[in-house]
Amino acid sequence: MRNALSGVEHALFWLLAVAAFAAAAVGLGARAADRMAVAYENQRTNYAIVRVIAPDGPEAIAAATTALGAAPLVTSAAPMTAGRAAELLRQWGGGEVAAEDLPDLRLIEVELGPAPAQVDVSGDIVAALAQGGVTAEIIHAPEGAAGGGLATQVRQFALWGAIGFALVMALLVSLAARTLAARRREMVTVMCDLGATRGQAAGRVADEAAILGLYAGLVGGILAAFAGIVVLLLAIPGTTLDALPEMILPIDMLPVALAPVGAAVAAGAGARAAAGYFHAQAARLG
Amino acid sequence: MARANPVDLDLYERGALVRLAGVDAGYGETTVLAGLEFEARAGEVALVTGPAAAGKTTFTHLLRLALPPRSGRAVILGVDVARAGARALANVKKRIGYVAETPVFIEQWSAFDNIAMPLRLTGRKPRDYVDDVRELVDFVGLGDAADLPIEQLSGAERRRTAIARALAAKPQLILADDPTANMSPADGRRVVRLLSEMRRVGAGVVIASQDESLADISSVAHWRMDRGHLSRVSFARPEEAEAYE
Repeated sequence: MRNALSGVEHALFWLLAVAAFAAAAVGLGARAADRMAVAYENQRTNYAIVRVIAPDGPEAIAAATTALGAAPLVTSAAPMTAGRAAELLRQWGGGEVAAEDLPDLRLIEVELGPAPAQVDVSGDIVAALAQGGVTAEIIHAPEGAAGGGLATQVRQFALWGAIGFALVMALLVSLAARTLAARRREMVTVMCDLGATRGQAAGRVADEAAILGLYAGLVGGILAAFAGIVVLLLAIPGTTLDALPEMILPIDMLPVALAPVGAAVAAGAGARAAAGYFHAQAARLG
Repeated sequence: MARANPVDLDLYERGALVRLAGVDAGYGETTVLAGLEFEARAGEVALVTGPAAAGKTTFTHLLRLALPPRSGRAVILGVDVARAGARALANVKKRIGYVAETPVFIEQWSAFDNIAMPLRLTGRKPRDYVDDVRELVDFVGLGDAADLPIEQLSGAERRRTAIARALAAKPQLILADDPTANMSPADGRRVVRLLSEMRRVGAGVVIASQDESLADISSVAHWRMDRGHLSRVSFARPEEAEAYE
């Protein structure tokens, strides 16, 4: 690529990079929204807190935990420590609560697997505890179908919104890449005069645009990933760089990985179409 | 893609590089060339002269396959232009060297790279063609200017570069549209001699020009274009044809 990244090409490169950055950033945002929706849905439907009423004493908590472990739909059950309770109270807007100030809670956190809509999960939990000789009540029940569907809507909106935005950015990249074809118009004309077919002439310009798009997409994608990490660190207090590999799933990086590919394909397609048009103009004057 | 007509191929193999019979051509609604009868043969130079706006440039567009014939029959390098597909026409174009009135180059590239462009299009590597291109540079008298970007060349150097590029792929048919325009008489004559030299390697040369005196430089088949009509003025001298054979 002769005189690469000079003048118009330089401006075009950064335009493509910004478009790739925007598409990748929106994609990462959509992934974050998707994961939050999934987490919310899980918490809403797959989580319960049980308070042990009788008998008294720590043996009852152990018996309840054992009984819950054998209950259908329960994937895990663990007594709630004072520290955990203080943390939950803080999250739910209870202000600063010292763990040592809390009384003996006699609470058990229960995580549940997916349940069919017609199953009375709370009733099943109480029944399972009763079979284990424990009297208990559900103080935080998994929510039923009522109010459900919001997470699904959020996930759908995030997915299609990101795809739609990416398509708009691809269109922008495609149109912008036509300026590169316009810059190469004299080359297309020369190639046409020398007997190059439309595919040969347009392909050469498309290859150049695709390579430009690939590098611009790479830069845009990396910048978006970097911005995403910064937002993550700022949005979730206490998050460290060491914790990121465990927090980020491979699929979360899909928008970053797709940015160079998408930019290359869109830029190549736009430049190919424009160069093909210029070739057609040069090939036939009549 | 239309299959080559055996009669067309036979004519071509017997040296008729271009044969036009009753050809009309033009742009949009306007007919510029009417009822052309023309033949260009291998090893001959055809000079087409005429006043401005007579149709000479349109004629070269027709021969370089940029303008389709509207009627009549145009057989160029053994291919019937009206019946051939895009790929066949592209293949014919690769065998035609064209020197435009205002040549188009890749301005940021050096003259050397522009000259090498037809060879690059055939897939040849620089190490395979560098000597051939240097030879062409010497042949057209471009000298050290070959290493300069086109945008820094003078009009005469650009013209020489265009000629060298047109000759690079060893074309069978060479077309030159007003190759002496804006040149001194001496430079103009030198350019025509350069082009005429190509008949010695069996190429056919068609030169369109306003300058009638070019017919005196070399033995040429002289044609005159006037308001889109073409007529033969003189035939090439036999000794030149013998020199080719």
